Amino acid sequence: MKAASFAYHRAESKEEAVSLLSEHGDDAKVLAGGQSLIPMMNLRLARPSRLIDIGHCPELAQLERVGGTLACGATVRHVRFERADAPELAACRALSDAARLIGHAPIRSRGTIGGSLAHGDSSSEWCLMMLVLDAVIQAESGRGVRRIPAHDFFQGFFTTALAEDELLSAIELPLTTVGSALAEHSRRRGDFAIVAAATRLVADQRLRVTTARIAMGGVASQPIRMPSAEDVLHGVDLTDRRSTMEAVSEAAHMCAASIQVSDDIHASSQYRRRLASTLVRQALSRSAQDWRTAGD
Amino acid sequence: MTETRYDVRLHVNGTVHDVQVPARRLLSDALRHDVGLTGTHVGCEHGVCGACTVLMDGRPVRSCLVLAVSAVDAEITTVEGLADADGSLGPVQQAFKECHGLQCGFCTPGFLTTITAGLEENPSPTPEEAREMVAGNLCRCTGYQNIVASVLRAAELRGGDA
Amino acid sequence: MTETLPSTADARGTRVVNHGVKRQDSLEKLLGKTRYAGDFDVAGQLHARLVRSPVPSARIVSRDATAAMDVPGVVAVLFGEDVPNNDIPTNTAGIKGRPLPPSWVLAVDRVRYHGEPVALVVAENTRALAAAEALVDVEYDVLPVVSDPEAALEHDSSEVHEGGNLLSQWRIDRGDVDGAFADAPIIVEGRYEAQVVDHAYLEPETGIGWLDDEGVINIRVSTQEIEHYRRIARVVGLPDAKVRVQAPYLGGGFGGKEDMTVEPYIALAVLRTGRPVKMVWSRQESLTARAKRHPVRMHYRTAAAADGTLLAHDIQIVSDAGAYPLLSGFVLLYITLNAAGPYRCDNVRVHSRAAYTNNTPGSAFRGFGGMQPVLAYEAQIDKVADAAGLDRVEVRKANAFEAGDRIPAGQRIDTAVWLPQCIDAVLDAIGPRPVPSSPEHRVGLGLACNVQPYGRVAWMNDSASAWVGCERDGGVVVRCGVPDVGGGQVSSLAQIAAEVLHVPLEKVTVHFGDSARTPLAGRTTATRQLYMSGNAVLSAAEELRAQLVQGVVKGTGHGAADLTLAEGGVLTPDGVVPLAEVVAMCMANGVAINAMKTYFAPTGEPVRELVDSERIVPDFTFGAHAAYVEVDTRTGEVRPLRYVAAHDVGRAINPLSVRGQIEGAVVQGLGYALSERIVYDEGVNLTGAFYQYAIPTAADCPEIEVKILESGEGVGPFHARGIGEPPIGPCAATIASAVEDAVGARPTTLPMLAETVLACVDEGAAR
Repeated sequence: MKAASFAYHRAESKEEAVSLLSEHGDDAKVLAGGQSLIPMMNLRLARPSRLIDIGHCPELAQLERVGGTLACGATVRHVRFERADAPELAACRALSDAARLIGHAPIRSRGTIGGSLAHGDSSSEWCLMMLVLDAVIQAESGRGVRRIPAHDFFQGFFTTALAEDELLSAIELPLTTVGSALAEHSRRRGDFAIVAAATRLVADQRLRVTTARIAMGGVASQPIRMPSAEDVLHGVDLTDRRSTMEAVSEAAHMCAASIQVSDDIHASSQYRRRLASTLVRQALSRSAQDWRTAGD
Repeated sequence: MTETRYDVRLHVNGTVHDVQVPARRLLSDALRHDVGLTGTHVGCEHGVCGACTVLMDGRPVRSCLVLAVSAVDAEITTVEGLADADGSLGPVQQAFKECHGLQCGFCTPGFLTTITAGLEENPSPTPEEAREMVAGNLCRCTGYQNIVASVLRAAELRGGDA
Repeated sequence: MTETLPSTADARGTRVVNHGVKRQDSLEKLLGKTRYAGDFDVAGQLHARLVRSPVPSARIVSRDATAAMDVPGVVAVLFGEDVPNNDIPTNTAGIKGRPLPPSWVLAVDRVRYHGEPVALVVAENTRALAAAEALVDVEYDVLPVVSDPEAALEHDSSEVHEGGNLLSQWRIDRGDVDGAFADAPIIVEGRYEAQVVDHAYLEPETGIGWLDDEGVINIRVSTQEIEHYRRIARVVGLPDAKVRVQAPYLGGGFGGKEDMTVEPYIALAVLRTGRPVKMVWSRQESLTARAKRHPVRMHYRTAAAADGTLLAHDIQIVSDAGAYPLLSGFVLLYITLNAAGPYRCDNVRVHSRAAYTNNTPGSAFRGFGGMQPVLAYEAQIDKVADAAGLDRVEVRKANAFEAGDRIPAGQRIDTAVWLPQCIDAVLDAIGPRPVPSSPEHRVGLGLACNVQPYGRVAWMNDSASAWVGCERDGGVVVRCGVPDVGGGQVSSLAQIAAEVLHVPLEKVTVHFGDSARTPLAGRTTATRQLYMSGNAVLSAAEELRAQLVQGVVKGTGHGAADLTLAEGGVLTPDGVVPLAEVVAMCMANGVAINAMKTYFAPTGEPVRELVDSERIVPDFTFGAHAAYVEVDTRTGEVRPLRYVAAHDVGRAINPLSVRGQIEGAVVQGLGYALSERIVYDEGVNLTGAFYQYAIPTAADCPEIEVKILESGEGVGPFHARGIGEPPIGPCAATIASAVEDAVGARPTTLPMLAETVLACVDEGAAR
């Protein structure tokens, strides 16, 4: 099937994109890499009457270190993160690991990080990573720039905090992702995950956990954080494998117990809970191991 | 109600094609119907099967997930552009022929383009990397065994060229 | 053996046949030059699309095309009343009982499945088509949905068709089943269930049609059967000869393009508008509405002696035929025929039933009913071996058919049964058990065997014709109406002609797949094409060879006994006469330079409900598969690590093609085993997009090793057996057996999704 008709605007700059959105935001969708939007349009699950193509704005495609953050333009393509040896991605191996789990090479060479976040799929690798990295998402409009913390960004089923006239222009990421991990289970490699878990542990010099983040996909209408399970990990001594494993198990158990899911064609709720427990355990174990390796 | 048509200049296999298309024209349809290159096949039109994979600036993309109007600045390569200048088979095509890497052949153009780009990135893949390289393209005839063999053989042939 | 079998050349010392030659079609395909059905356009063409029912069961209250016709660019909207013959009769040969209902080109007063065609829209462009499709106003009065085949057979079920939901049933009743069970020391029982799956070829259903100068409707279409031209002619009310169907190279078929798809609609639209018309089904239409593989529920009880000898089977099978009969009766016959597998058993009772439901109709799919029961009979024989405390391999070998045995339905197996050899081949090749990749993983080894008939049911009176001729330049031409679905059908015919006529393969040109211009050779289905048209080409080429010799006899005066065919011509005591000169000698002396032959398959009397016959199918192909899998005990994920498949193909015409067929079938079988399924919610198909239907990718597949065994016995050309369908059969049972070996409990329901296998992990751990 083909997409329904729409009007098309090509923005040559971020400024023009923002201005087009101010004018047409009420009936326009932003087109970045198109790897989520175009299939939905081809399946006629989305019928925007207007598209604003931001794929040709140079300033949106930049990835650079700015002060204490990694500044990532909205249209940086997934493939750009795959190469962990890029200098701006030093210490961000978790981003490369996550990128390689997205679809397949032809999807990654076209799809963008901003597009994934604006789409807000519950099991999207980027959405989960942003939650655990405490990323800040920049929303730009004629009214100025709004900095939205990731944990406020995902609001419901394919619904984000972006207003109609706001352009997701950039993402602010920490300069290091040490202690982050993503584990997912899908039917086939490259498919949307049935359940996915992202985790991040931040530790002090003695490898005691100061901050813990757990985000889950495929268990709610949007990607979600699991705050009470995170609390279990605070203060855990990562050099003590036994107590780490106990905390990890407890957190995994809490995640599985707290999710509210119903059966669907991909999995029963019971199976999703078991996957949740398994994947959180896997991801947290890797997060902990990452610190131990970093400490060596 | 007539649909607005856009003047689009596509660079395909080293040739410039000026076409007039509505904004919703997919690159796959533009290549097949407006440019007349029917070697690029359409199997699902939602980015799953990979039959329509072409190269944009050397990178593999699903041409069914790209609007023709968005493809104006890119150098596009289709299966018709993979043969050598004298019209003989390029290394990936040659490898498929030698290894019987195709049966019905409908998915083949998508594999050929994907592998061409994949070998640029990784010129000497292991068998496992060869499998991974083609994991985004569906084939229902071959069981992939000979396609993986073709990737490895193509790597040899390319190495021989260098 | 059959009297109709032509003399087959001895395959020893062949030059072209039995060699892995590069297929003739590959070059154009690799260059992107092959034009598949969707790659043709005709100037001035219109586009057509179906309006399909969004509900699985409803009375049609009203239909109105007024708004749709107002859309600029719309040329016509057709309803059932506009179709000269709207019913497509069901071929019921050999199936007893009330006449089976027809399918409808366009539903008139009732829809019976989600996606059933209701109206045909024809327009200048696809945009108008889409707009008009949404505006064809059909009012439905929703009726109860029959969604479960067993519930459908209860007396209180709603009826899909008047007269009850039993479409057909077959019985085998051989020996004294109850007596055998009464005395048996070993009795094992099992219930098995297989799902609905889709063919999922990469090329969706497509065609284009136009009227030619002689008033013939030409349709160039992706089809496995060009002989549908007769059915198409009936639909549009034209004489058969006024419809011509051409099949260019297909982008896959697997049985899904055996029934008509776009053809009748294209013909209707061409006739209505007088203009060329193209129809392309979307992947969603293909997944939602085209016929599927039948899901089955199978209940097996098996009795055995203490030494593992099979004594009796008592088998009950229910198949979901969906909303219309199509080929369900025949598929059910094949399920019944093959229910006891490749093993000798003197006491067999099978009762199989196919029920109408409001699900998508079931029809042909590679394996055609020979496939579903493998899951059950292979599990049963493992249970017998376990109960007897014997080795599963030895129990298989001890019970395997031998040539001369009769299958439970009566027919004698005329050719070799190399089942033990296949088993040995896969077990020799499977290699050492891989080490699990973590303490959370378990590795298991599985083995399964199968039997699959090839060729059509005997009372279909199958035949295939082929024409072979020489050109004046010494080239050879084959004309044969085969559709090439991708399996190398055309290339194999070229090999046979090249072999018999002693010319290089590249000198042979094959014209194929044209109902008006190539002799009819029947459908490319039922693993019959190499067997049938291969035999036809072989005998035509042999006749032509004799004619060429005769021409040289007349031209040179040498005796026929002194002449043999040699590379490039005919060898005489005076040297080689080049083929071009041989042709000239023939023409100068009144000897024809072409020959046409028809090969007739062995025939038999139709069976009527009770399957008991001397001749039901032409012959059988046997095989064995083995696999290592690794199971993740945390998620239930199954990863096949290594796979070996062995089949006795009699004689491989092209070993490369045989290998390719087996590898492809294994992967299609792995999808059936592990990931593929169509899911319905009360008749509504929930898996209508490709991202929802998981066919295996390269990353999901193991290394596959193929063992080609050649017993030299088969009823095809050069004693070949058919190999298109057989290798898909054992896959699911092989994986189930490997999972059982890994985790201690066996999945009995397909597909073996990770969740299903995780339940087996739990069950195994609890033991």
